[in-house]
Amino acid sequence: MNAPLLAVEDIGVRFGGFVALQGVTTAFHPGRVTSIIGPNGAGKSTLFNVLSGVLTPSSGSIRFKGQDLKGTRQHEFVHRGIARSYQITNIFPDLTVHENVRVAAQASRSRYNIWTNRNRFPELDARADSALEAVGLVAKRDEIAKYLAHGQQRALEIAIALISDPELLLLDEPTAGMGPEETKEMVALLEKLATERTILLVEHKMKMILGLSDRILVLHHGRLIADGSPRDIQTDPEVRRVYLGQNDGYA
Amino acid sequence: MTSPALAEPLPSSVRKPGRVKSLMTTYRVPLSIIALCLLPWLLPSKALAVNVLIYGVVAVGYNLLFGYTGLLSFGHAAFVGAGAYITGIAIGQFGVPWYAAVLLGVLGGGLLAFAIGALSTRTRGIYFSMVTLALAQLVYYVALQASSWTGGENGLRGFTVNKINLLGYDINFLDPVNKYYVLMAFAALALWVVSRILNSPFGAAIEAIRENERRARTCGYNVERTKLLSFTLSGTICALGGTMSALHLAFVPLDSLHYHASGMIVMMTLLGGASSFFGPFVGALVFLVMEDVFSLWTSHWQIIVGSIFVLFVLFLPKGIWGTFLARFVR
Amino acid sequence: MDTELILMQLFSGVALGAILVLTALGLSIIFGMLGVVNFAHGALFMVGAYAGLWVASLTGSFWWGLLVAPVMIGLFGMLIEYFLIRPLYGRSIDDPLLLTFGLSYVLVEGVRIVFGTDGIPFPTPSALTGVLDLGVGFFPIYRIFVVGVVFVVVLLLWLGLEKTRFGLIVRAGARDPTMMRVLGVDISKVWLLVFGLGVGLASLGGVLSGPMRSVNPEMGSLVLAEAFVVTVIGGLGSLLGSIIAGLAVGIVISMTALFAPEMATIVMFALMALVLLIRPQGLFGKLA
Repeated sequence: MNAPLLAVEDIGVRFGGFVALQGVTTAFHPGRVTSIIGPNGAGKSTLFNVLSGVLTPSSGSIRFKGQDLKGTRQHEFVHRGIARSYQITNIFPDLTVHENVRVAAQASRSRYNIWTNRNRFPELDARADSALEAVGLVAKRDEIAKYLAHGQQRALEIAIALISDPELLLLDEPTAGMGPEETKEMVALLEKLATERTILLVEHKMKMILGLSDRILVLHHGRLIADGSPRDIQTDPEVRRVYLGQNDGYA
Repeated sequence: MTSPALAEPLPSSVRKPGRVKSLMTTYRVPLSIIALCLLPWLLPSKALAVNVLIYGVVAVGYNLLFGYTGLLSFGHAAFVGAGAYITGIAIGQFGVPWYAAVLLGVLGGGLLAFAIGALSTRTRGIYFSMVTLALAQLVYYVALQASSWTGGENGLRGFTVNKINLLGYDINFLDPVNKYYVLMAFAALALWVVSRILNSPFGAAIEAIRENERRARTCGYNVERTKLLSFTLSGTICALGGTMSALHLAFVPLDSLHYHASGMIVMMTLLGGASSFFGPFVGALVFLVMEDVFSLWTSHWQIIVGSIFVLFVLFLPKGIWGTFLARFVR
Repeated sequence: MDTELILMQLFSGVALGAILVLTALGLSIIFGMLGVVNFAHGALFMVGAYAGLWVASLTGSFWWGLLVAPVMIGLFGMLIEYFLIRPLYGRSIDDPLLLTFGLSYVLVEGVRIVFGTDGIPFPTPSALTGVLDLGVGFFPIYRIFVVGVVFVVVLLLWLGLEKTRFGLIVRAGARDPTMMRVLGVDISKVWLLVFGLGVGLASLGGVLSGPMRSVNPEMGSLVLAEAFVVTVIGGLGSLLGSIIAGLAVGIVISMTALFAPEMATIVMFALMALVLLIRPQGLFGKLA
């Protein structure tokens, strides 16, 4: 009945002699918020890079909506319905906020159109504006992106990911570098997004994760060591052992 | 992290461009054409004006790739030369009428640009510049060897265009003023085409790639294919410049294919300003005037131009026009 | 086909390749450490040749020229790094390329002003003239000498990089300059030395090539293109790649000259195009 949106099987990633991921097998179901946690170096970013097509796994397979993603090129992932945001803000610095989102919107159609004036595409403008509305940045639409405050840039980062209307949203530490106020705003945004899409989150702030997630995956040394509801994870002995002495962030 | 309280107003770049800037951008093609119409009357010689036209077109075409897509090619002389040689050969050896020869030159140059672009866009980062230089140098050596077609070291001759028949009227092409305005029509066409490309969704795509290639890729752009299209379009415009040069000189020197010629294009573009539409034209003008003036003083004028270029890279990277726009145009 | 002729041509290719290796190594080291593609590399090769000639004519000895010129031009390279390249740090990666390109114009024209626009012959030192009979053929002594010198230099370079502390810093810094600074290494001194070393290698190549091809202000253009071809084939930043690709290209050019001399230079570029088609990052390079 509930077929997985994304199924990964025995994913392994090696960099020369170093094993970044090993035997990761799991599935993600539509409409849930799943958080991936683990100490630094556990392989969270590597897993994200595999799921968004930045890295090709050395072994294992990924199936999205039943289709094997092997051989799919990085820029095609977003066309399939998987979009991601980055831990270090990765926007188009000299374009305005609106242009940032609109150029992302354009990628799915008319990207090779060398003749028509780009202002003649009202539906692109409308889509861009609605993405900005969703993240609360409409007021800043004409400002140059590099002059935005950090929190607003993170929101723009998410708007760019949103614009392709993805079924699966991969968010890499969306609250990175944010203080408590901005984190609260981001959490509210994420809760709203969670009602419409499937979200995969990498984060460090435990309180935020526990409140937001339906399910938590714990990575350690490239292996999946725990997988369950927030309650399960909080009481899991293996997880407690791994996290003993770790910085819990905004507890 | 909240925005700091500012003692002075935000820089104008934070807001959308102001009225004058917007107007200049919207009407850049007509404004440029007006400037070009006046040019021959402002310069000491018509021949200089024609050269400015030719190299202005080449630089504007080059800038599509360099300034707007962010790719530093050192091989664009190959496309200028290809356009020139093909036009010359078509007229001289096959008796093709001038307009068809121009068309062939543009298409041929564009095809070469596609081929070289396909190979060089397979490389990333700084490799790209080296590869474009080397591939264009390959074209140089091939042209050197194929002397029965190209005239080898001596260049291509024997294809003078004396008069042009346009819509039933015979225009004496050898008259400098006529020549200028006929070639200016080509230049106007090139400027219009480049402007449309820049305004299009594709124009937004190449800007995105220039700003953040990685991000453009994850937004869904096939970066390699987009770069290749930009490369090809850019080379095609340069080829048009080459055909103009062939018509003007009735001669194609072999050196027009050497990477030094490519370097000259780069210098012109940078001197004028790579971040603006008309900058490359200004750069061509400045470079050619400098060459004219300095070579009167000394046969070693290249050392002056080279030093000026080094100073520009260090202190005026936006170029003359670019700096002017940034400082004085809101 | 005449075996002796083929062997001699092969050897000629190795000698040609040896010079290519020196130039490409210099380029690669500078890129590997500073991330700068030195477009003045060919011009500096040419300046090295002229410097060698000048010192030799001053002292009456080729050996002084060989020893002093690379050091002189290497020091000059350090000045270039300090005053012209370092200010560009943090700006676009294309800027040093553009600057060194402009610099090459200044250097070439400067040499024309001082030494004239015509070529100058570079006499082979008397101790190295003549041929050596190795049984299978007569091999020019000078070329044997060139191959020998390059071999020793490459060996010293390898030892320096692998076995010394400085070499360790160079290899590590190439991978993570920020980390190096954090660890307290004065990276700016390293840049200075590496750039000087790279330029020194190019100018050594220039001096060595003097007696093989005469010296003229334009000789650097082809050298630059050759260095690029070798680097693209071998892989930018890979020293082993520069060595293997340099020798390979030298041999290919030489053997082609045997059958179709006019195609020799073209074949070099065609080889590069082939490598780009099959393996864009070069034989030993890594995908960006």
